Amino acid sequence: MIKVTLNINDFDRTLLVEPDENLLYTLRERLLLTGTKKGCDQASCGTCTVLMDKKPILSCITPTLRCEGKSIHTIESVAKNGKLHPIQDQLVKHGGLQCGFCTPGFVMTSIEFLEENKNPTESEIKEALSGNLCRCTGYKKIIEAVKAASEDMK
Amino acid sequence: MRYLRPKSIPELQEILMKENGNDYSILAGGTDLMPRYRTGLQLPEIAIDIKILPGYCGISEENGSIEIGALVTIEDIRKNHLIQKDLPCLSQACHEFAGTQIRNRATIGGNICNASPAGDLLPGLYLYSAELQLISAFGSRKLPIEDFILGPGKTALKPGEILVSIHLKNQFDNSRFYKLGLRQSMAISVINYAMGWSVVEKSISKLAIMAGSVAPTIVSLDGCCKSFLAMENDESIAENIAKDIFPIDDIRATAKYRQQVLKNLILHDLRKFPG
Repeated sequence: MIKVTLNINDFDRTLLVEPDENLLYTLRERLLLTGTKKGCDQASCGTCTVLMDKKPILSCITPTLRCEGKSIHTIESVAKNGKLHPIQDQLVKHGGLQCGFCTPGFVMTSIEFLEENKNPTESEIKEALSGNLCRCTGYKKIIEAVKAASEDMK
Repeated sequence: MRYLRPKSIPELQEILMKENGNDYSILAGGTDLMPRYRTGLQLPEIAIDIKILPGYCGISEENGSIEIGALVTIEDIRKNHLIQKDLPCLSQACHEFAGTQIRNRATIGGNICNASPAGDLLPGLYLYSAELQLISAFGSRKLPIEDFILGPGKTALKPGEILVSIHLKNQFDNSRFYKLGLRQSMAISVINYAMGWSVVEKSISKLAIMAGSVAPTIVSLDGCCKSFLAMENDESIAENIAKDIFPIDDIRATAKYRQQVLKNLILHDLRKFPG
């Protein structure tokens, strides 16, 4: 096993990991941060999205060893002091989830997108979220929630 | 799997010399290698991670030619104003490329070295006469992209050699990229093509079309372009398209469908031209 140091949700963590271990496994099984979900496990569904140096990436295809010295943010870091992030709040208000499995991925992708784009159009939101799949409800309410969150964040 | 992470080019070259003949894979963005690894399809014994190598991750312009480092991500190309202005096919291809998370990691160098017949950046790179800078412990050389990509997954890279940068020049006044997938995002192309043209006195003076996913490598539809410039009718243009392509049946579409849809799309585009 190999030693690796990474910053997870603003805390430095030093861990021993296998050379072929992915970040998803490290988060869920070693650090018990199970908010990040394992969906397809092969880079197709987006549910394992986390932020690496503030950019959304897929933790299932990111070897943990490649994260040495990087900052990682997961869904557990999003609500602050018991207060939901505007995108979480609007997903709840719009009913933008049913089973909720894909939701952490959508939230993480949306956070970075809304930081970059303060005034998104519907088609820009669709393009930004195109790497996240939802198999319950469809995308209409999710897109509306992201739009509403962008208003809240002004 | 052994995981190696060189911090400099000399260190990388040393590793490549030492591992010559062994089963290694270069890991750039890892968006293709890792899913294959996860599904147990291909397991290289050694992964050489080059993502932290200094340099090769910028975009610059010199004497009308644009240089893109091999480690530049698809998302960085998509957002780059120079590319939006001068190399629209690349910019458009990056918009249609997978999803945000993949675009943040996938690199242009990886897309080229993967040599997929369906690679979305490739038609644009062929259209803009991409020249690839390769280096190894023994020196460096430059190859045009059509001499570099030899077939599906096959490139002219010699053992110990890596791709470091791509040099592009747009010789057309207008260009556009088109992709047909089974859905809009996260879909591998059924067909894709890049088209470049210049107009002099309201008629087309220059035309080139590079089509992907219809042959083992990207093909230049020269016969079709010549036929159009000679003002031949739609039937002979379509015949010339058919002569240049060698599509296959696969899980995404049949050869027959690919041939028909490429003809239809190109004829549709050409009809919009003046003259």
